[in-house]
Amino acid sequence: MLNNLAAVACLSGLAVSIFEMGTPRGLDFQHRNSPTPEKYLIATMGGGVALLDYNNDGLLDIFLVNSGRLASPMRLPERFGRDDPRYWNRLYRQNRDGSFSDVTEVSGLAKAGEGNYGMGVAAADYDNDGYTDLYVTSYGENILYRNNRDGTFTDVTAKAGVAAGGWSASAGFFDYDNDGLLDLFVTRYVEWDTRHNKSCARQTYCPPIDFPPTTNILYRNRGDGTFEDVSRRSGIAAKKGRSLGVAFNDYDGDGFTDIFVANDGMEQFLFHNDGKGAFTERALDAGVALSDDGKPYAGMGVDFRDYDNDGRPDIIVDNLARQTYAVYHNDGGGSFSYHSLATGLGVLSAGSSGWGLRLEDFNNDGWKDLFVAQSHVMDNVEALDPSLHYLEPPMLALNHDGHFTKADPGTDTPVAGRGAAFGDLDNDGSIDVVMTVLGGPPVVFRNRSGAGHWLSIALRGVRSNRDGLGAVVRVKGQTQYASAAGSYLSSSDRRVHFGLGSAEPVDVEVRWPSGIRQTMHSVRTDQLLEIREREQP
Amino acid sequence: MHTLFLVLALAWQGVSPQAVEHAQAGIAARKQGHLDKAIEEFRRVTELAPDFPAGFMNLGAACMESRDYGAAIGPLKRALELDPALSGAHQMLGYALLAQGYAAESIPHFEKAGARGGLGIAQLEIGKLPEAIANLQAELAAHPNDPDLLYYLGRASGLLSKNTFDALLSSYPDSARSHQALAENYAALRRTQDAEKEYREALRQRPETPGIHLALGEVYAAASDWVKAEVEFRAEAKLQPGSAEAAYRLGSALLQQGKASDARAELARADRLRPEMPETLYALGKAASLDGDSTAARKAWTDVISIEKTGPLAAQAHFGLAGLYRKQGRTAEAEREMQEFRKLKEPASAP
Repeated sequence: MLNNLAAVACLSGLAVSIFEMGTPRGLDFQHRNSPTPEKYLIATMGGGVALLDYNNDGLLDIFLVNSGRLASPMRLPERFGRDDPRYWNRLYRQNRDGSFSDVTEVSGLAKAGEGNYGMGVAAADYDNDGYTDLYVTSYGENILYRNNRDGTFTDVTAKAGVAAGGWSASAGFFDYDNDGLLDLFVTRYVEWDTRHNKSCARQTYCPPIDFPPTTNILYRNRGDGTFEDVSRRSGIAAKKGRSLGVAFNDYDGDGFTDIFVANDGMEQFLFHNDGKGAFTERALDAGVALSDDGKPYAGMGVDFRDYDNDGRPDIIVDNLARQTYAVYHNDGGGSFSYHSLATGLGVLSAGSSGWGLRLEDFNNDGWKDLFVAQSHVMDNVEALDPSLHYLEPPMLALNHDGHFTKADPGTDTPVAGRGAAFGDLDNDGSIDVVMTVLGGPPVVFRNRSGAGHWLSIALRGVRSNRDGLGAVVRVKGQTQYASAAGSYLSSSDRRVHFGLGSAEPVDVEVRWPSGIRQTMHSVRTDQLLEIREREQP
Repeated sequence: MHTLFLVLALAWQGVSPQAVEHAQAGIAARKQGHLDKAIEEFRRVTELAPDFPAGFMNLGAACMESRDYGAAIGPLKRALELDPALSGAHQMLGYALLAQGYAAESIPHFEKAGARGGLGIAQLEIGKLPEAIANLQAELAAHPNDPDLLYYLGRASGLLSKNTFDALLSSYPDSARSHQALAENYAALRRTQDAEKEYREALRQRPETPGIHLALGEVYAAASDWVKAEVEFRAEAKLQPGSAEAAYRLGSALLQQGKASDARAELARADRLRPEMPETLYALGKAASLDGDSTAARKAWTDVISIEKTGPLAAQAHFGLAGLYRKQGRTAEAEREMQEFRKLKEPASAP
């Protein structure tokens, strides 16, 4: 049924890429960040993307976050031209033929607030009505768009109380108290505004250490369309960071979702959830705060998944060239070991700078591979250090029994990669990638491997949140944690995907956030399966 | 660097009481920091006792102290005409001339005073670089860490190095050594490709030259190209089996690639060739840890701490030990190591 390109490549001795890079018809988005000589720090940080099925037609749609217009120099009040269509965020509906249609205006997502310079996006069904909603982050104020179930959205930020303010970066929905309602975590980068921008030596973007750290925000979903800011009460605001990426998982298996926050130029955060509404930051004691040499690094994108199929979630954080992407192996007992060198990822990443990333099984062999959107943060880095590069092609690293080797990502064209969202765009059982490019059009990596068998599972929570986010799904020795969060500024397909290698039927175990456990036996492979949560324990 | 001093002649034979009175007033004014008053008093002494060398020397010294080097030269020269054996006057005159740009003229005075620091600076100014370096090094041995001496020694060494390389490049522009020198310049500028090209040419001409593979490997290492770095370090290690640095660099390149076992072997060899190097021991600990040998890792990192109690490597060793103990479930020891790490680590982390 499927084109088995990998097998053909193997037989012929040719190296064929898993991905075919391109831009689907109708996806005419152009990211505009408007860099100026003032080197406003926001200009190099944007580019969120979400893969969501907003109209429940079974096809993933694409939402892209635009940044805005920067004047040279900026004047008060800060205006970013977001009323101008060139600077709108855009929603593209996928059509049956794989093309896309721009439905931004008809869906009510045009404009994004003149005072908001766009950053990232989180997508999930926060009101459990069966339709995916959108939360867009910005330097300025964030916007929560409620899905009206008719192809349109309504800005409900004021009522929901989730505008945040300051400089928000990544965000993610998750259910930290297992009450069946999706809560919201928002990372914030630094205390910064255009009046307090700095220009560093030789007209470069200044490092984050030049700006004060700030707090992240945790919003608790009250279930009535409003959220409560519990950042202080929960202990989240007790730590100030320079936070960019966020990912969720239950690293100690206690049934409550923990939070990993990627910080730029300082210690990373691991917020342990005590199950009673409070979090304790434990990164240093857990061994995930620093590099193996005890040094801070520029944490940007993050994923929190089990790369070695031992059943425990590990952590991968990307960063700047010369730092090597950090791989923290979960040893159990709440403790991690630094495995960048042991996994081979250290040598693959030592010269690269990463942003959006995710562990997914791109070749369906049963091991999660790694895709990273790459580019240095400074657009003139070559002038400072000719051995570094601003533009880079993305990285694809294939996982062989927990060891990563470099593979062809389908392009060697260097770009300024930023956000990346992952999902099965064409429902063919293989994971595709949409990567944003700073100041350019997005790139879609269609997975053409056709290799291996697979199972894709859409969770439908009943006692748990309707999206089933936070569920732990085990299939054939692999573990997936249901989450659309992770990566950088981006939100991925909420379905959980398993590459299975062989076609034989599999057992599927689900541990829902409600605590309910379900097992399905002898499930046929190569299908999109919906699992509805059992109503009684 | 140099000490200004005033000479108070103990015996004032042949000098009028009035001159002595002005001399004492000058000394008192100088002690109180009233240099203008001191200069005025000493000038009066020289008028009242025009054949008395100490008067001129005191006047010169006061001018020196008030940083008026031009005004100091005349009185000091006169003092030396009256008494050529006045060593202090020679030294002061040397510095006064040097400060006014008369480096060549200052040299005989520094020589007579035995002032090697001033002599070295003067020689540097007139381009006698090897002599300057020798004198500055001798003076630095007597006054370690003197910032002026360190600066001038660094400058003299740099200039000598530059001149030497310039001579090499102009005399033998296509020699292996010229390509090596050019490569080093490019490497310092992080121009990796240019450095690589020049090192390759140097190696093509003289493949057995020690140090070139090592330097080329360092270029690759700086660009995080560990695969190529390993090749060059291995070549250097083969060329110089007794080089601890080549073994250390090779071990580090292997470690960066996750080749734990091979890295351990090379780092252990580096440790045997040059024992008790904290960098080697720290890397050896990392390689052993990566190789799953926690006992060896613990020993190596403990050795680092015993050699280096503070500093970044000590902090890193404590951090490594904490991870090791944490993995073994030895919570109390892990916490103790983390406390040591926290004490030593650089600031600039989370508030």
